[in-house]
Amino acid sequence: MNVKLKTMIAGTTALAALAIGGAAMADGHTMKIGITQNNVGVDSYQTTYENSFIAAAEANENVDAVVLDAGGDVARQIAQVQDLIQQEVDAIIIWPTNGEAVIPAVREAFNAGIPVIVTNSNIAEAGFEFVSSFSGPDNVTQGSRSAEIMCDKFTEMGIQDEAQVVQISGQPGYTTAIERQSGFDDRLPEVCPNVTIVETQPGDWNREKSQTVMEAFLVKYDDIDGVYSGDDNMGVGALNAAIAAGREGIIFVGATNFAVGYEAMERGEYWGSIYQSPVDDAEAALQTAIDVINGEEVPFLNYFDTPKITQDNQSEFTKPVF
Amino acid sequence: MSDLAATNDGGRRKSIMNLLARNGILIAFVVFMIGFTLANDRFISLDNVMGVVRSSAILGVIALGVTFVVISGNLDLSVGSMMSFSTIVVLDLHDKIGPAFAIPVMFAMTMALGALIGFLVGYLKLNSLIVTLGMLSAIHGLTLTYSGGKNMDIADKEGTWFAVFGQGHVLGIPVPVIIFGVLAAILAVLLARTAFGRRVYAVGGNGVAATFSGIPRARVVFLSYVISSFCVAMAGLLQASRSMGSQNTVGQGLELDVLAAVILGGASLLGGSGTIFKTVIGVLILGFIQNGLLLVGLQFYVQYVVTWVIIILAVWLDVAAKRGRLWSPIA
Repeated sequence: MNVKLKTMIAGTTALAALAIGGAAMADGHTMKIGITQNNVGVDSYQTTYENSFIAAAEANENVDAVVLDAGGDVARQIAQVQDLIQQEVDAIIIWPTNGEAVIPAVREAFNAGIPVIVTNSNIAEAGFEFVSSFSGPDNVTQGSRSAEIMCDKFTEMGIQDEAQVVQISGQPGYTTAIERQSGFDDRLPEVCPNVTIVETQPGDWNREKSQTVMEAFLVKYDDIDGVYSGDDNMGVGALNAAIAAGREGIIFVGATNFAVGYEAMERGEYWGSIYQSPVDDAEAALQTAIDVINGEEVPFLNYFDTPKITQDNQSEFTKPVF
Repeated sequence: MSDLAATNDGGRRKSIMNLLARNGILIAFVVFMIGFTLANDRFISLDNVMGVVRSSAILGVIALGVTFVVISGNLDLSVGSMMSFSTIVVLDLHDKIGPAFAIPVMFAMTMALGALIGFLVGYLKLNSLIVTLGMLSAIHGLTLTYSGGKNMDIADKEGTWFAVFGQGHVLGIPVPVIIFGVLAAILAVLLARTAFGRRVYAVGGNGVAATFSGIPRARVVFLSYVISSFCVAMAGLLQASRSMGSQNTVGQGLELDVLAAVILGGASLLGGSGTIFKTVIGVLILGFIQNGLLLVGLQFYVQYVVTWVIIILAVWLDVAAKRGRLWSPIA
């Protein structure tokens, strides 16, 4: 009954929106939701995200989804947002290719009366006023949790007063990369004040690139106790470099637990990560969009939880599918 | 002109000058090596040098093949996405039909793509820039379709001999370095010492003249692309074996690094000049620059800029050595 009432209210709101903003929605039955993703082919996380999103949209008979992919290209993403505005969708979900450059396109959607939901990685603050809600992981918290995982392990090993850490960050300019790095950089000195981060270089979310970066770190520094990578894909690249160089006893901590990272944890080569499910991520984004269209109260920062995972507790988690 | 000078009685000094002029890029190479060594003494350590040569091997193997294409007067921008393709295919087939079959099948599939490009550019005489730019995108789509966008990983990384190509050592030398070296030697002989090699130069130097001299221009261009795709398949094998898993975009952007290496080596984009040896030097310069900048610890954003400043400096040094002065009042 309550649901019906909600639908009716939503329908009325929608009719009002139709009159004012020209957003086409036939009495609340079908919502047309457009999504422009960052770069689907680049990694399995994004691929799984897309599949889960499509599955969730198909499972919901009230939703008609337009699924687009920007292929990592800002210009293409802006064009896609404009296309979605032309198609008069009821809401646009955007996974920004670049936190700054997409703001004008988001503003355009806002001015056209179409609510915008940002997913996975947020846009820059200057664009917040044009966004209805952000649905995704809290990357700053993820970075600080990784710092805690690493510090706890160092303390357990008794090297919390001398350990040296190198960091391999994600793609420069990418909000997720910047937030995870700042979360890690800020939290580590709080929990382990005597641990030093000797150098940070980007691995561009790319396993092979990270392997090369780690090789250079290994040549440059005789003493590396820990490696923090912006995701497990890069972390495994760094791990490969350390194994090839015969350097043992390094503590590897990542984020976004990938299957390869999970397996490396099972083998005891990789210490820990942050468990983040692309299925949760996609479903949360779709639900947020539906809630926004239905006029429900949605927090501006709509985070889903991403817990710590280490060799000690990994049996509580299923192996990631990506 | 400099050849003539060397035979004059000015003798020894001139012939040294001549040697330098022919190898300006070698001088540049030595200068950079000394510079980076001064900045960080670990740069020249055996471990690091071996590491750089090993990680350059993948780029290098591709550059060997592209050298043929460039000398024949064409471009190949498809090599990056073609390598992604071969890497993904061999990783996928490894678990399905075993490495012994996966490797030849992957080579056949990759070389079929090379043959297609060779047919379009050689026999249909389509512009190579357009064809290979189109193939860059088309092959990327093919790879994504093949993999369904997923990362490919070998399930059982311990129980296979597949790792030998990317991670093995023979007499302390990494296998990728050996493959790079052997392939460079074979292709150097093919290019410099055989009739086919001379035809590649002839076609690139003056295609019309080559045709009227009875050289089967289309077939030479076709074979250059097949050689190039063979090298790409080899690089894909090294890449796959090195990391035992890969993203779909592993080769993205590689085509420009490859071209940079080939041009650094002094090959003309207009065709007709270049050698395998100089391409190898170009590859090493590129590899050592990237490694050197990391060791010096420059901020990453600055590295993009510095890399290209160094490359342009190297090309300038090369040109200056050839004409015997730093700049030229006429063109």
